[in-house]
Amino acid sequence: MSTKRILIIDDDPDMRLALRLPLEAAGYAVSEAKCVAEGLAAVKQVKPDLIVLDVMMDSTTAGFQVALDVHSPDPKSEFKDFRETPILILTAIHTTTPLRFTPDEDYLPVQVFLEKPIDPEMLLAMVRKFLEK
Amino acid sequence: MTPRSPPAGLGGLPKPSISTGRHTLVEAELVASVGWLIRLRWMAGAGVLLATWVVGAVFRLHAPAGPLYIIGASILLYNLIFYLRERRLAQASAPAGAFSRLAMWQVTLDWLAMTLLIHFSGGIESPAILFFIFHIVIASIFFPPRTAFAFALLAAALLSGTALLEFYALLPHEPVGGFLEHPLYQNGLYVVAVLFFFTSTGLFAVYLAASIHARLRRREEEIVGLSESLRRATARLQTLNEGARAVGSTLDLPEVLNRLVKSTAEVMGVRACSIRLLDKSGRLEPVAVYGLSQAYLDKGPIEVDINPLAREVLSGKIVNIPDAPSSPLIQYPEEARQEGIRSVLSAPLVGKSGPLGLLRVYAVEPDRFTPDDETFIAAIAAQGSIAIENAMAYQAMEALDVAKSQFVRRVTHELRSPVSVTRTLLRTLAGGYAGDISAQQRDILNRSTRRVDFLQKLIDDLLDLAAGKTDLSLREKREPVALGAVVEKVVRRFEAPAREKGLTLDCRKEAGEAAIMVTATVDSLDRIFDNLLSNAVKYTPSGGRVTATLSHADGEARVLVEDTGIGIPEDAMGHLFEEFYRAPNAKEIESEGTGLGLAIVKDLVTRLGGRVAVQSCPDKGTRFIVALPVAAGGEGPAARAEGSP
Repeated sequence: MSTKRILIIDDDPDMRLALRLPLEAAGYAVSEAKCVAEGLAAVKQVKPDLIVLDVMMDSTTAGFQVALDVHSPDPKSEFKDFRETPILILTAIHTTTPLRFTPDEDYLPVQVFLEKPIDPEMLLAMVRKFLEK
Repeated sequence: MTPRSPPAGLGGLPKPSISTGRHTLVEAELVASVGWLIRLRWMAGAGVLLATWVVGAVFRLHAPAGPLYIIGASILLYNLIFYLRERRLAQASAPAGAFSRLAMWQVTLDWLAMTLLIHFSGGIESPAILFFIFHIVIASIFFPPRTAFAFALLAAALLSGTALLEFYALLPHEPVGGFLEHPLYQNGLYVVAVLFFFTSTGLFAVYLAASIHARLRRREEEIVGLSESLRRATARLQTLNEGARAVGSTLDLPEVLNRLVKSTAEVMGVRACSIRLLDKSGRLEPVAVYGLSQAYLDKGPIEVDINPLAREVLSGKIVNIPDAPSSPLIQYPEEARQEGIRSVLSAPLVGKSGPLGLLRVYAVEPDRFTPDDETFIAAIAAQGSIAIENAMAYQAMEALDVAKSQFVRRVTHELRSPVSVTRTLLRTLAGGYAGDISAQQRDILNRSTRRVDFLQKLIDDLLDLAAGKTDLSLREKREPVALGAVVEKVVRRFEAPAREKGLTLDCRKEAGEAAIMVTATVDSLDRIFDNLLSNAVKYTPSGGRVTATLSHADGEARVLVEDTGIGIPEDAMGHLFEEFYRAPNAKEIESEGTGLGLAIVKDLVTRLGGRVAVQSCPDKGTRFIVALPVAAGGEGPAARAEGSP
């Protein structure tokens, strides 16, 4: 089984480090991008198996734009190959979303929200669930 | 006798400038008099017919009944024409001149009829001669004295003519047979005497009527003038009153200003009114204008430093400029001339902390404004100042509220972001993902993690509380929410911690209670019950029980959160909902706690229109009761069927 590639898109270098360490320790190939534009370019270049995406970057909802583009249902979308690529969306606590998934749940949407702070065990459990299904 | 056109009519009357609708008050009086005369004439015509009949049938006298009946009928006929004409003029709201001409025609025809009546009732012998005096008095009422005297002399001439023609038998004498034993019409002395007394009585009647009438008319003019100034005073009072109401009724600044300029201009009867307010750069910017052209407004900035008039007004003076184009105080005299402005009256608008701007009225006439006007505009300006200041304060408050909310949102992000990154980093480190760590290092990391986690909780709670105090959106975002569903979800969240601690956690609700809807947001309800259940689980020792119970009664939904925990000491009860307060026994159990949870609960419940109460017994347990109003139509059918206790 080839090494799975994970792309982290987050404007905060400390956050990228905190995410990268456990993912690398678990044996994934990790790439980083620090803004929306860089992130979208990296998606095409790296062809990640999974994306970890921060919501608040250039604007408070910049991350959602990335998710919308990557998962666009438009058949002519430049990201149509990545329509099924799972995205873990990192949100700040209290910017509440009614969707709270845990790795135990059977149904796995293509986008999942993770609340900060990110517990590395939880992150890895989630990633494994996606990549080893 | 030929009718004359009006100069003699209203020509001599004073022309008051005051108008009540279509006619001035004096003209209105003439219009009314024309109608009055027509009503009198019905009686006069009928009187002639009746008298003619009475003379023949009752007194058995031989009057020339034929001509007399014709005269009576003619009077009624031409009066009918006058009546129709008058009605048409009145309906068409014709100018007073038309009524004046009508009056002239009436007098002319009346005099002709009168002369004929005298002739056919015995000429100089006729007792009807006296009736002529009525006509002279009526003419004196209608016309100015000179015209009335002329009419009196005309009456004398008509009578004399008739008498002389009969005297010399140039006109047949038409006596009332049986009235006089000896005819008098050829008795020269008698004829001269009657003519003399008639003429002098007529002239004297005009003199009396004219002088009484003149006096009445003067009085009337005074009354008209008084009522006019009363009307103006009332209008001014009304404007002041409206201004006062504007202060109370609206806090919308442009609305306040526009009402003020419009009503001021209207009530003072001037061309225009404007309000300029001082901006931060010391300019007077027009904020409300009535009656000025855009070109005039665009004439250029009014800068207090170089505008002598503005400086003087802002220092608190009322400045009355009788002729703007030639006044050295005016910054733009040429523009004022082009705009047609002559008089300008300015009053300062003064707030509690200094000048706000100025209120100004403009008139096209030179030297238009009186000391009364100055007093009036001062009152308007004083009242306007209050209204403006209130509205400005309200505006500033609203802006502050928005700024505060924005600030809180910004701080929320700025504070939370580094803390949450630090927490993530610490967890990564503690998890050994950055290399192995010793037991002591792990201990230190865990301590750091705990402290930073607490910091996060503190920030969240503080910001929640601050946002709650400033965030107006909770009211707007509210919608009917199923209370039971939210409570159940929160209870489920605490199942794992409760199990770990060896607690029994229950959520009780009777069938149908889940359908109870309250008007709220899911988030606010979640925060309320999350805080209450978290406390209950935290402060209940192992083996205890925590229960959430949902019920409803009297239009209220109630959630009881009960525990068998440590309870709340008596003297702590009063402080429970205070910010940062923590009961001493709670601190013993859990050293870290923000003391904000219950303050948030209280704040949210209150803002949702509900109540929160607490009952507790130390060492036995605590019960929190949250009561929220049920949303309209929010009680499920099952709930209703079960009824209230």
